Amino acid sequence: MNGNKMRTFLEIIYNCPFILLVIFTSIAFSLFFDESGVRKNEHNMAVSQMMEDGVNAGAEAESLLKKSGMLLEKNQNNGDEGGEKAEGTAAQEEKTNQNAGARKEKNDKKKDDSEQKADIEKNGNAGKTRETEKRATEFVEYEPIATNSRYYSDAGKVALTTVYDYVKENESYFNDAAFLGDSRTLGISDYAGLSGADFFCDNGMTIYKLLGDDGVTYQKTGEKVDMKEILQEKHYGKIYIMLGMNELGYGDTPMYLKQYLKVIRQIQEWQPGVIIYVMANLHVSQEKNNMETEFNNININDKNVASARLANGRDVFYLDCNPLFTDEEGYLQAELTFDGVHLYAQHYDKWRDFLFEHGVEKDEQPGSLAETDGQAEGVTKTGESGDS
Amino acid sequence: MLFSSVGFLFRFLPIFIIIYLALPKYRNIVLLIGSLIFYGVGEPYFVLLLLLSVIMNYGFSRYMFWEPRSPQLNRKKKAAKRRKRALILAVALDLSVLFVFKYWDFAAGSVNSLVGKGFLPLLSLALPLGISFYTFQMISYQIDCYRGTIEKRAGWISFATYVCMFPQLIAGPIVRYSEVADRMASRRVRIRDLENGLKLFTLGLGLKVLLANQIGTLWNLIMTAGAGRLHALVAWLGAFAYSFQIYFDFWGYSVMAMGLGKMLGFSIPRNFNHPYTSRSLSEFWRRWHMTLGSWFKEYVYIPLGGSRKGSGRTVCNLFVVWALTGLWHGAAWNFVLWGIVFFVLISLEKRTFGKRLEQSLVLGHIYTVLLIPVTWVIFAITDMGQLGGYLGNLVGYHKEDILVGVTQLIRYLKEYGVLLIACVIFATPLPAKAYWKWKDRWFMVLFLLGVFWWSVREIVLGSNNPFLYFRF
Repeated sequence: MNGNKMRTFLEIIYNCPFILLVIFTSIAFSLFFDESGVRKNEHNMAVSQMMEDGVNAGAEAESLLKKSGMLLEKNQNNGDEGGEKAEGTAAQEEKTNQNAGARKEKNDKKKDDSEQKADIEKNGNAGKTRETEKRATEFVEYEPIATNSRYYSDAGKVALTTVYDYVKENESYFNDAAFLGDSRTLGISDYAGLSGADFFCDNGMTIYKLLGDDGVTYQKTGEKVDMKEILQEKHYGKIYIMLGMNELGYGDTPMYLKQYLKVIRQIQEWQPGVIIYVMANLHVSQEKNNMETEFNNININDKNVASARLANGRDVFYLDCNPLFTDEEGYLQAELTFDGVHLYAQHYDKWRDFLFEHGVEKDEQPGSLAETDGQAEGVTKTGESGDS
Repeated sequence: MLFSSVGFLFRFLPIFIIIYLALPKYRNIVLLIGSLIFYGVGEPYFVLLLLLSVIMNYGFSRYMFWEPRSPQLNRKKKAAKRRKRALILAVALDLSVLFVFKYWDFAAGSVNSLVGKGFLPLLSLALPLGISFYTFQMISYQIDCYRGTIEKRAGWISFATYVCMFPQLIAGPIVRYSEVADRMASRRVRIRDLENGLKLFTLGLGLKVLLANQIGTLWNLIMTAGAGRLHALVAWLGAFAYSFQIYFDFWGYSVMAMGLGKMLGFSIPRNFNHPYTSRSLSEFWRRWHMTLGSWFKEYVYIPLGGSRKGSGRTVCNLFVVWALTGLWHGAAWNFVLWGIVFFVLISLEKRTFGKRLEQSLVLGHIYTVLLIPVTWVIFAITDMGQLGGYLGNLVGYHKEDILVGVTQLIRYLKEYGVLLIACVIFATPLPAKAYWKWKDRWFMVLFLLGVFWWSVREIVLGSNNPFLYFRF
């Protein structure tokens, strides 16, 4: 390279520092993050971390994923027996013209049951509680549509509220309850009138950020608090979680499920005897439903089905509030919402009544949890008084 | 495809720019094909409608310039007649396409509510992206051709590129052909243009993603409480939040379009000139969406006679222009009402207190800062019942109990206080001044790099936030 050329070259570089910086940083980021903004080795890290945590959540998550047919490729690669089943479900995924999030009542429960049984046999080592978990949540199947997204696939089923003899409660039931969630939970906090409960929620909260160091806003004080500390110090009787909307475009559904499971196991460790309600994410309106982006009911349903698998009908329950607010095609009714995502304030009453109807009174405690229960009540009281 | 999407930023744009630079001889065709891909990704069927309108319009404009070989008697007269015919046909075609897709259901619904249900069928068509913008652009081309302000007619690729050019295709600015004609024929892209264009684009991206989207959640939050049950102060906070949202959304988009234009070797006209610093509503509309304002002035107001035919006629012309401006923004009665509010206020300004406002230092600002948010509320709320409720809240009137009161107000201010201050600052000319003064300094470059990646982070982590102005 002679001097002249060198000089023009340097001049070019001198003239466009911004472009060069953008290009260099883009390359650097692309090495470490995939397109959904997730660190490239996060999947593996999440599993190995769970193994380290000693809650055996890793294996549990894997088996849950297999059950929901989300780890199809992995199964096939392993030459696992599960692969055959997986191919079966994949073949089901034919192209149909079905509408997004439609609840086509094609109740194929028999098939689901047999699948689950087969699964239990194969993954016998995954967990002892499998037998009880099996019946916990029921799914209504429908013909899934083909999706082409890195964030989700069509679950092909809709999860129903966990089967249980719920008791109708009143407001005092929520005096030892905590709600963890995003902007929709903020709506419950503002307009459902459950003044006894503690609300920890923020716009844009995700299951990934929930226990993170950035903290969550405690609605009674308006201050950011560290959920890790709160959950270790204060004791709750019930914890309601509703997260998943802000995860629609971040990571995929298996990753969401893994993180959700991790959070639940962590909470159970800190809050022995607690009842956890996994609340379904409310669908969006037809106007807001966008199949070209990841912001649609198929994706929301995929997340809901995944989180519903965490319910065991014993101390983890899945509550589906969608039937209260959606039309027969699964869209949030347009007249109930301003932006297609959040309910108008006046409709939260309905949601509150729904929560009232789903109280869980635990008379027959599973042995290991009974002894911690009394202690739980005591701590709650001290916690509350200390707070006010 | 959205400008503020990962697919556009990291896939479409870099690949397109590389091809564009690598084929300097075929820039128009590359830009045309690129733009059709850009549009077609989101609207695979309506891209055909766009192409069809472009071809038809080009046909009419050719017909306008067509000159028969054989010498004829009174040739000039015939040519003039033909040109008029071509213009009327072209404009009628453009407007009827726009009418069918955008206004049919509104018109039919209104007629039905007068005559009886089912008198006219509803079509429930989806609105093609950017149809209001590109239709207006094509009409301006036809009228300019008719008037002879376009000296040399465009070749068909130039014309199609002019209409479909992706930086301004879906949300303006409304570019006139004469503004890009020279560059359409030949253009050079210097490395400085790329650099400065990307900087401008990043600024626009930041306005859209970091200001408009964020403050928009406050408006959503307040509207979710339900119009009609708000404390007056909360209602005002919401009105201000929406005013900021729509401004930074649209301004951000226009700045991004300018930046992209620069990167491609065009100079796309400015669309905003700090509208919220105006001292009257007339001044506001000289600074807000300037290309639309000048379109209506040039092609509607002045042909109708403007203000030269007596005061009665002037008021009448103003009414037509403002009713149309309202309707252009959307097919619903609240948009008509919105336009008429401007008509009344601007007519009043013209005849009485406008001069005094624009001369005063403080009064004019107070007047616009209080009135403009109210007009945006009328713009934002399509449901008339809700609109009435919200306007009532603004003056402290509510039928039912207040749901959102002072406690929530304090929380909102805590949560959004910093953002609101940032919005106020960016509504003044100061940030733009600072940018133009220091745009080549290293700290500005680093600042913009920060804006870029912070925006990308918000785009990746947040759920999608479509442009407010997209569906217009």
